[in-house]
Amino acid sequence: MRSRFYQWLDSRLRLAPLERSLLEEPIPGGASWIYVFGSATLFLFVMQAVTGMFLTLYYAPTPDHAYDSLQFIESEIWFGSFIRGLHHWGASGMVVAIGLHMLQVFLYGAYKPPRELLWMVGVVLFIIVLGFAFTGYLLPWDQNAYWATQVGINMVGTVPLIGDWLVPVIRGGEGLGALTLSRFFALHVLFFPAALVTLIMLHLFILRRVGPAGPWREEQGKRQSETFWPRQVYMDAVVMLGIFAGVAALALTVPLPLTDKADPSDTTFVPVPEWYFLFYYQLLKYLHGPLEPLATWILPAIFFIGLLFWPFIDRNPARNPVARPFAITAGGLFLAVVFGLLAISIRDLYAVPRLDPAVARGKALYAQFGCSGCHRIHGEGGAVAPDLSFVGDRRPEREWHIKHFQDPAAVVPGSFMPKFPLNERQLQDLASYMLSLKQNM
Amino acid sequence: MPDGATSQHERGPVVTPVGARRRFFQRVIAAAAALIGMGLAGPLAGYVISPALKRREAPWVDVGAAADLPVGEPKQLDHVTTVRDGWIESQSHKAVWAVKQADSGRIVVYSPICTHLGCGYRWESSERVFKCPCHGSVFDVAGSVVAGPAPRPLDILPSKVEGGRLFVQYKQFKSGLPRSVEL
Repeated sequence: MRSRFYQWLDSRLRLAPLERSLLEEPIPGGASWIYVFGSATLFLFVMQAVTGMFLTLYYAPTPDHAYDSLQFIESEIWFGSFIRGLHHWGASGMVVAIGLHMLQVFLYGAYKPPRELLWMVGVVLFIIVLGFAFTGYLLPWDQNAYWATQVGINMVGTVPLIGDWLVPVIRGGEGLGALTLSRFFALHVLFFPAALVTLIMLHLFILRRVGPAGPWREEQGKRQSETFWPRQVYMDAVVMLGIFAGVAALALTVPLPLTDKADPSDTTFVPVPEWYFLFYYQLLKYLHGPLEPLATWILPAIFFIGLLFWPFIDRNPARNPVARPFAITAGGLFLAVVFGLLAISIRDLYAVPRLDPAVARGKALYAQFGCSGCHRIHGEGGAVAPDLSFVGDRRPEREWHIKHFQDPAAVVPGSFMPKFPLNERQLQDLASYMLSLKQNM
Repeated sequence: MPDGATSQHERGPVVTPVGARRRFFQRVIAAAAALIGMGLAGPLAGYVISPALKRREAPWVDVGAAADLPVGEPKQLDHVTTVRDGWIESQSHKAVWAVKQADSGRIVVYSPICTHLGCGYRWESSERVFKCPCHGSVFDVAGSVVAGPAPRPLDILPSKVEGGRLFVQYKQFKSGLPRSVEL
């Protein structure tokens, strides 16, 4: 039974045909849990939009107040850190959801004719989402934001011909400052959302014109189809609830400490990007010197152009992965490289080698004596004293560290580091930890 | 889909769940939507209204040595106070009027703003009254209205003496009302 209000609306707006076309779209082969990733991405985008709008209530996009306004949100506003956490983890979730969505489309050959345009608009949407990630990262205006953005923009500078001209355009001037922050803010909250919403509508419009692809065995899809409502919507809704619960749990349990306020004069800071850019960060470490342009723009350009025109590169009409050895191998190889680099990067950054318990004990001492009050390791800790992220490369001699712990000022004239009461074993353990902090472990 | 579970389509039959199964899916969809909606709406509502409900206690500011105050003679005490406006902190110069009572030695501190329309008033030592230059309100040394349009006595600020120093909580009050109402 429809409510009287619905009947009243229907008698004026003739909703029935609209409702039918929205909800009774046939899904070839029936609803499936494998089709949820597009809806999951859309849900996360809506959540980002809502939490983002609320964050702007208390955010000031100027270098003198951005950092303070974020701290204000964190400490003074009810649920402020929760809303910021939802936005932060929602962004990560979106990268995951898009990755899975593209993987499913790739595996099912759903980009093949007649769905080339659907794929291409999807790739542009993906690029815009990366633009969101890049511009959003600067907004907290802490050290990590400032220096990570500095690195990102400098990479653009390596592009031949237009690079030198593009960098000041992105920064809004010569240096990274007030104009950069305000244009990144405008891009993040006005320009990109407008572009994204328009292209999402186009993406969905094309989807409705060409219809969902269905199973890769076409005959299976032709045998029977199922309406979008209610079973596919039910699956989408369950997944959305799961995502919301997961993102909310992360927002509640994982604190998102700001590093110190951005200090353009502190060139010792070593920024670390978000986890989803870590594989690329690792790639940059391998490709330096004359090979650097390969990582900073040649490979990315090849990747995105290849991705965009992929439906025209892969002309094999088969959709079943078994009949597509070239495409599946290419995709598998790409994933292996990305996840391999990601794993190496995470190991380098965070793992303490399990072989040497002295390093673990040294790390515990580092925490116990509050060394992070002054020193910083991979973005965590104060900026008063030298950054220790790669101190093992800078000071490879164990003796130096031991002497330095015993009497800092004797080794480094003018050092204001206090003498800590460490016994012989603690000295050795702490030195082991310092020596373990290297670029490549 | 009111009439039956299937209908013909160019790609074979289109099926849709019916009966109890359909109702189950619909209930789960509604429940998921409700849970997500509530999970967001509650925190977001709190997020929006919290600055309106939060009242920050005004800080106690040191305005000078209590012993420096002459007995029975109001003295204007200038001091710098930190004003917090959201995430912006600024220093602001404020002045208050302090009077050490002749009989008890107690110190009373007045808000420096006339209760009529918010002008700054001054002490006329020859006439022993506070006079507001704007509309001619006159108050005696106890803060009571002697003449003019002021609707209430001078507003008294919370004050205390600790270690020989006078501390004041600076507050502002609505002007023009017969009772003292904090802003």
